[in-house]
Amino acid sequence: MSETQSPYSDPQDDPDVRRAQEERLSRVWAAPRGWRYFSAVNNDKVGIWYTLTALGFMAFAGVLALLMRTQLAIPENDFLSADTYNQMFTLHGTAMMFLFAVPIFEAVAILILPAIMGARDLPFPRLSAFGYWCFLIGGIFVAGSIFLDAAPDGGWFMYPPLSTKQGGIGADIWLLGLSFIEVASIAAAVELIVGVLKCRPPGMHLNLIPLYGWYVLIVGAMILFAFPPLIAGDFLFEMERAFDWPFFDPERGGDPLLWQHLFWIFGHPEVYIIFLPSIALLAMMVPTFAGRPIAGYSWVVLSAMGTGFISFGLWVHHMFTTGLPSVSLGFFSAASEAVAIPTGIQIFVFVATLMLGKVTRSVPMLFALGALAIFVAGGLTGVMLAIAPFDFQAHDTYFVVAHLHYTLFGGMLFPLLGGVYYYYPIATGMMLSRRLGVWAFWLMFVGFNVAFLPMHITGLLGMPRRVFTYSADMGWTALNMTSTIGAFIFAAGFLVAAYDVLRPKGISDRAKRNPWNAGTTEWMMEMPPKPWGARCVPHVESRYPLWEQKDFLKNYDEGRYYLNDAPDGRRETIITSVLDAEPIQCLRVAGPAFLPMISAVLLGAAFILATFKMYTATGIASALFLGAVLYWNWTGTAEHPEKEERDIGLGKKVPLYVSGAKSTGWWAMFITMLGDLTAFLGLAFGYFFFWTVSPVFPPEDAQGPGWAWPALAGVLMLTSWAATLAARQMNGEGRVGAARLSLAAGAGAAVAGAGALIAGPWFSGMDPTLHSYPAIVWALVVWTAAHAGAGLVMQLYCLAASFAGRLTPRYDADLWNVSLYWHFMVFTAVVTSLVIGGFPLLS
Amino acid sequence: MTRNSASQPRRRSTGEGTDLRRLLAPPAIWASHFLLSYVAVAVYCERAGRAAAIEPMRVLVLAATAIALGLLAWVAWGLWQVRARSVTDDDFTFEHNSPEERHRFLSHMGLMLCTLSAVAVLFVAMPVLVLGTCR
Repeated sequence: MSETQSPYSDPQDDPDVRRAQEERLSRVWAAPRGWRYFSAVNNDKVGIWYTLTALGFMAFAGVLALLMRTQLAIPENDFLSADTYNQMFTLHGTAMMFLFAVPIFEAVAILILPAIMGARDLPFPRLSAFGYWCFLIGGIFVAGSIFLDAAPDGGWFMYPPLSTKQGGIGADIWLLGLSFIEVASIAAAVELIVGVLKCRPPGMHLNLIPLYGWYVLIVGAMILFAFPPLIAGDFLFEMERAFDWPFFDPERGGDPLLWQHLFWIFGHPEVYIIFLPSIALLAMMVPTFAGRPIAGYSWVVLSAMGTGFISFGLWVHHMFTTGLPSVSLGFFSAASEAVAIPTGIQIFVFVATLMLGKVTRSVPMLFALGALAIFVAGGLTGVMLAIAPFDFQAHDTYFVVAHLHYTLFGGMLFPLLGGVYYYYPIATGMMLSRRLGVWAFWLMFVGFNVAFLPMHITGLLGMPRRVFTYSADMGWTALNMTSTIGAFIFAAGFLVAAYDVLRPKGISDRAKRNPWNAGTTEWMMEMPPKPWGARCVPHVESRYPLWEQKDFLKNYDEGRYYLNDAPDGRRETIITSVLDAEPIQCLRVAGPAFLPMISAVLLGAAFILATFKMYTATGIASALFLGAVLYWNWTGTAEHPEKEERDIGLGKKVPLYVSGAKSTGWWAMFITMLGDLTAFLGLAFGYFFFWTVSPVFPPEDAQGPGWAWPALAGVLMLTSWAATLAARQMNGEGRVGAARLSLAAGAGAAVAGAGALIAGPWFSGMDPTLHSYPAIVWALVVWTAAHAGAGLVMQLYCLAASFAGRLTPRYDADLWNVSLYWHFMVFTAVVTSLVIGGFPLLS
Repeated sequence: MTRNSASQPRRRSTGEGTDLRRLLAPPAIWASHFLLSYVAVAVYCERAGRAAAIEPMRVLVLAATAIALGLLAWVAWGLWQVRARSVTDDDFTFEHNSPEERHRFLSHMGLMLCTLSAVAVLFVAMPVLVLGTCR
């Protein structure tokens, strides 16, 4: 690339020009001050809040664990009551999984991904902020319930019938609080996938992405396919709890195993959703401290992709003792063994890199090595547990507790803490103490093993999980006491690390630039970090530009790459093509606003009020939320730029506005709808699951919705879809009037279609509380009709935008995104019609 | 679409869609085989009762396995043809910044995914060889 090696001599040679550019950039990217600080949306601010909040919930769940270990230290202890203990282990698991392990991935990725990509920010900063506020509100709601003695107490996987029959609001808090937090996860997944695909620096082809980017991409995709089945399951579960729709009640044709399937289709990939991003941190650290490129880049990508896929074929290994046919168990046992292959490859790549390089001793490296040791032990017990007959013996004992903590500490916590030490300078411009770090590591490493190694034996001796006490005759006393001592040693280590992170830092703690001599893009950052994120967006030609590209830092500092200025006073970043990272747009990203926080509060209110069965108030909060989102869209998105093109430097001019598949909004819609489609398929799976397990389904005497209404609904939805598509086409051709008519017709058809869909079960008098059959038909209808409602709002929004002059033949991104929504919508509607109307004719 | 500069001799087009399609095909083949085997056996055993012999399912799963392996071999053959692709990916030397190199990289990935998927398909086929009934 000759143009980057011989940067043009003027005007960047002039220090005054550069200083003026830096001033403009600083002003544009400055975080708001005073009370407005909390309106910030910059990824570096939101990322830090997010990380600290997730670590705070981790500390909270850790304290619960210490209380439980205290209770178990001696036999027949009465430190905690059985009831409190139940709440504690449920909340410990729930908080560690949903409030720490998954959110910390999003938190760290939001914090460091733009730096790794050399981007100024992620494409939807306000969406990140919205996700954060959702997480904070939902997390406080779920975690706070224990102080009111109202926490869920049925275990973190909420099995029915225990959890459907339980009184109190504990289970409702779990279901609605976590559904709300899942919104944040999916928001983050959308943001991060688009971030990796579209916000790479020019020149960063797919084969040059830092490994962290690959992992984020794969994990984001996994979130899209793993979380929605749980959302579908939550929906069914809450309908059963709130309205007595018998999805999981065998007396009325339901089946508790349906929940287990939906939960674990989420739950097993989730383990890898937690594990992969932390391993990704190792993939960034190991080459740095080995002082050489990773030995087997493509092998790491292969193993991440392979793990991502195969992890979806493992869920039944959590259900080995539910009495499924042994052939079924065999399939999942085999897949569970197969996943060890790609998982092992990553470990071998790290070991090989260390062997080939010259290793520098450092605190992050200490954590990385500790992580490898612990994870390998956890992986080996995993291979044991994947063998069904062994699992029959060890199921629900402390052996499983030991196994899962070994995988999670080795695969997640230790790499993450290594990452905290490694990336601390990027977040704060300061270094953590080496001495305290070494202390923290050894206390944690020793404490962890003292606590969890004996649990393998405790489990093999037969101690079940989740018992609040045990008799001295069982012979578990010494082992339990050892585990408790270990837990407190671990906690001491964690306290040392927490103190190090939070203590006030002095001048001697300041980080110098690129303190670890790393080769990847994020370390080009100035120390202390500047608000602009990147002085200019570099042209990347290597996997380790700081090591391999000549004069990289000099060119960067002197602003000789792209977007070295903010002449229009706007926050800007570059959007590139998916495969080869050609610049295709200069995206103006949103600045600080309270709108994301307000929207999150309103959505949170809707979920929380529903927990207390205050449905009118829920309706009002939902309507306000819809209003806030519409206002947000109307004022904050798809603005018409004052000029068509922007010169981004190095002789490149790119448009400021694009629509369709080139735009980030289109990708966000596509990704969101993939997740939404998966949730719908989860519901449809429920229908066919009942068909599988019932001798006759639909039951012979049951009233169905008939075929006529569903067929009419299908035709009307197809009409609405076609009209929306035609509107996009005609609007693009400049026939604005015809496009408006078509949109209006589409909206009418959507209303009629939703009506026809509801009319089927309504007029045939299907009562969802009688049997699982009417219940699942109604669930499909409610889901589809609600989506038609959302599609209607979008059509009307476009119509209004067209009349207001916001949607024109040139600026038509909204209409592209809405017609994309309708592609998914029409699929959902047609499948629903065929299933509820057509399937009973077949069986 | 070719984006090679004029100085480089044009060797082969570096297609945009082909790359990602071939990358996702091998795991998708594994997933389809897995789902088909699991669903077919689950439905069959639910209907036929736990004492039923799995013979018909054995035939079905093994047939599906043969088809899946055939498809994987076909995808792998296509990837094998990619020029300058190497089995080890030459990770130490090849790191060029060009669409060509990106294409080679993704082809290499696809080829390795074919191997991994084939192994996983074989793993999943094993239970029907070992077990005799739906018990």
